[in-house]
Amino acid sequence: MEKFGKAQPVKRVEDVRFLTGQGRYVDDIVPEGALFAYMFRSPVAHATITGLNVDDARSADGVHLVLTAQDLLDGGMDITLDSTAAPNRDGTHGAKPERPVLAHGKVRFVGEPIAMIFAETMDQAKDAAELIEFDYDELPAHLGLATGGQLVHDEVAENLAYDYGIGDEDATQKAFDEAAHVVSLDVGDNRIIVNSMEPRACFAEWDGSRMHLCMGGQGVWGIKTNVARMLGLDPENVRVTQPDVGGGFGMKSFPYPEYFVCCFAARALGKPVRWTADRTESMLTDNGGRDLTSLAELAFDADHRITAYRIKTISNLGAYNSGFGQMIQSFLFARVMPGVYDIQTAWLNVLGVYTNTTQVDAYRGAGRPEAIYVLERMMDRSARELGVDPLELRRKNFIPVAKFPYQTVTGENYDVGDFNRVLDRAMELGDTAGYAGRKATSEAAGKLRGMGVCYYIESILGDPDERVQVDFEEDGGVAIYVGTQSNGQGHETVFTQFLADQTGIPADKIRFVQGDSDLIAKGGGTGGSRSVTTQTNVTLKAVSDIVTAYTGYLADKFGVDEDKISFDDDTFRIEGSNEAPSMLDVAAMARDDQREDLLSFKAVDEIPGRSYPNGAHIAEVEIDPETGKVTLDKYTVVDDFGNMINPMLAEGQVHGGVAQGAGQALSEHVVYDEDGQLLTATFMDYAMPRANDLPFVAFDTEPVPSTRNPMGMKGCGEAGTVGSMASVANAVQDALWDRGIRQVDMPFTPHRVWQMLTAAE
Amino acid sequence: MYAFDIERPTTVAEAVAALKDEDAQALSGGQTLIPTLKQRLASPSKLVSLSGIAETKGVSADGGTVTVGGGTTHAAVAAGASAYPALAALAGGIGDPAVRNRGTIGGSVANNDPAACYPAAVLGSGATVVTNAREIAADDYFQGMFTTALDEGEIITAVKFPVPEKAAYIKFEQPASRFALVGVFVAKYADGVRVAVTGASEEGVFRWTEAEAALSGNFSAGALDGLSVSADGMISDLHGTGAYRAHLVAVLTKRAVAAAG
Repeated sequence: MEKFGKAQPVKRVEDVRFLTGQGRYVDDIVPEGALFAYMFRSPVAHATITGLNVDDARSADGVHLVLTAQDLLDGGMDITLDSTAAPNRDGTHGAKPERPVLAHGKVRFVGEPIAMIFAETMDQAKDAAELIEFDYDELPAHLGLATGGQLVHDEVAENLAYDYGIGDEDATQKAFDEAAHVVSLDVGDNRIIVNSMEPRACFAEWDGSRMHLCMGGQGVWGIKTNVARMLGLDPENVRVTQPDVGGGFGMKSFPYPEYFVCCFAARALGKPVRWTADRTESMLTDNGGRDLTSLAELAFDADHRITAYRIKTISNLGAYNSGFGQMIQSFLFARVMPGVYDIQTAWLNVLGVYTNTTQVDAYRGAGRPEAIYVLERMMDRSARELGVDPLELRRKNFIPVAKFPYQTVTGENYDVGDFNRVLDRAMELGDTAGYAGRKATSEAAGKLRGMGVCYYIESILGDPDERVQVDFEEDGGVAIYVGTQSNGQGHETVFTQFLADQTGIPADKIRFVQGDSDLIAKGGGTGGSRSVTTQTNVTLKAVSDIVTAYTGYLADKFGVDEDKISFDDDTFRIEGSNEAPSMLDVAAMARDDQREDLLSFKAVDEIPGRSYPNGAHIAEVEIDPETGKVTLDKYTVVDDFGNMINPMLAEGQVHGGVAQGAGQALSEHVVYDEDGQLLTATFMDYAMPRANDLPFVAFDTEPVPSTRNPMGMKGCGEAGTVGSMASVANAVQDALWDRGIRQVDMPFTPHRVWQMLTAAE
Repeated sequence: MYAFDIERPTTVAEAVAALKDEDAQALSGGQTLIPTLKQRLASPSKLVSLSGIAETKGVSADGGTVTVGGGTTHAAVAAGASAYPALAALAGGIGDPAVRNRGTIGGSVANNDPAACYPAAVLGSGATVVTNAREIAADDYFQGMFTTALDEGEIITAVKFPVPEKAAYIKFEQPASRFALVGVFVAKYADGVRVAVTGASEEGVFRWTEAEAALSGNFSAGALDGLSVSADGMISDLHGTGAYRAHLVAVLTKRAVAAAG
């Protein structure tokens, strides 16, 4: 607990830069004279390529290079993007059809890269693209969430990429056979487009022997490995950097074709090249999120205790495997499949299918929001069918405090939790007692009102180990090198403040360094709500190493035993001496003594285990039955994040997460037409949530510190999204229940809700 | 965007002359045209900017008529048309502040987007569209989606609105664009009621004459009970079917009458 003692709501130091236009994103820092890259993309969802002639484009004004798949192959490039395959039920692994960086043979989704043009201006590159002759025989597009149909890849039968299973199918069937009550529900989880504020972008430069790729991402090391592999370079000769990044949400974690084609071009031309997606290009080609449907069933005994849980899911992967696409709705979904309930018998079967749409991969929460969405919709439905209070049904099935640490049916080991305490506080903060009055007020105004609850749990993911380097610099300041990558979350504030708190070094004397593979040899990147836990954990290790080394140094210097020297997180004390040097003072002494070994410290450490943030979301909606418009009127969150390093930033993460979950529930809606053309390819048709669509979020915490890391903290980056989808959907279901509506699926756009109301009349 | 030349006339006469060139295109606030150019969906050889023409800017009220210059921005109408509050409110509800500070009434009415707000006010008020060449009654002006009575090179210099006794505009926003999924403008004059609907029809803005007849005898929401418009010919897209839009026309007309008081 002492490591938490100085937690403060420190304001974000990077915000002045970001809010005054001083952020340094990829497109702001391209090298002088870089050529503009423009990608010629597939105009159709599915076709056999019969001709590709880029001769006229090559000779167009200002054009330096046009690359096709054949050019890359002729240049010796490995053009295949790699991915992780999910384990199949039969012990084999999921399909891995080739995903080339530029299409050859066939195109499989609208927007698939075909040829990249490099020219002196963007207009010249676009003019040249209009001269490309692309001939094709169109094929029917496979678009549904179903196996079978037109094959996307000839070698993948039934379009079935993987068939994942976890749990005990037979035991689950037996429990269902013996159940007193069985509840089932189809739960759709709509596809979204991530829409980071900064689009994907990169530049590449080649100095004759080394490649430098600068791009917006969530960690430089995975990309570095891929650049080396695909271009046949020694990893020593690849430098990847990431400057300020304007939002990632999992979407920017993975390799995309443009980066590698730009590297190839920079090397071929000996000139730097730059590429930045425009908004529609982003919407067409960034990995999508969610896009699955699940048939879920719960078995109960006569006392309404859950005896078994079964889910059959079909998940859309898009046209190819993205980096981790197969793992999201399978392995990651399974991490929190049973949620906060004491369920020891379960079976999850997930089919991943290919379709002629853009790839789908991680999106804020990556499988865990999807799992909690299904489960919490099921708990709500079960309470309705069993005729009991939805909160009481949850309390009856919560894992009791006495059972922690608790081994779940899908293999997680929850360390701590006190779900009743958190729920009690949420009900108080959300004034559930006053709900009846608010509902009466809404009804008097001709509106329908509903309240919905979600009790979520998350498992933080990603690499459990992390690295840090702390350098005492000549100017008297300190540099901290981290292995994570801020996408706007405020790492600069949190990590410098944490080091300041632990060492007494003023935060404004700490220089924050991230995102450069030449300066930082290895790191875990950002994803899975891991960053603050893993980075502060290893920072503690580094501080401990520094204190140990400085204690030995001072003992020698002052001729005292080491046990006469102490450090109180601010000042070294030396018994029998009036000297009380700060850590920076000791570093200055060491520099004067030419002790280079005391001026740079590297540490590696692994967190002992994962933490399990959890909490209760309560949403209230009001629906105008004449128009179908849903208004999110009241929102309450009480989280157990354990100890928080910076409570203000944690609450900000919850606000953003809730907005993303509520956005998916209320407005975000990807629509393809029957030919596989994306109809929602601009913000004129794709409805992002806006500030005035959201109420103020009442927020509090009921901390139960994690026992699996020294800070006692739990990751908070994804939690808001995990909790908000089901709370909003359950509220909409509640409002519509009395109208006889029994199937409600996101997104709850006015038109869709009006159709539900009309169909029920 | 493709390359183009640009001219910046300072009088209507100069603008009319500049627009005589083949492939010349008038540019007002640019809220539709500029995005279209950026997407390379149009390639005019020359743009003639109307924004430097002082004589087409401003709002004036005189003898029961509010006259809005064709180059007047939505923000200026929102702030300056206090003699016609429903018109000012409509202008203040278009887009966002950036759109309202650039977009103009002339540009909107000349473009006649089926989901634009202004056509509902112009038709619902029985306004007169004034051009460099003539005056056109609203009932003759709107001729279908993106189609108007304007001739090639003709410029809207002003729109004259007779001020009604009561009026209101109610818009139900398309969730993404915030354009009117359906918008209804209701205006009560001494000689009758006009009801104009935007956003709904494949033919663009239209008058709902059955509602006008019902309301002319009894200007109350109740007078509309049982009235509906047909879903035939209504726009159907991913934001709403024709049936939904037809339903919203009836709902919003009642709300507009209630709002007009």
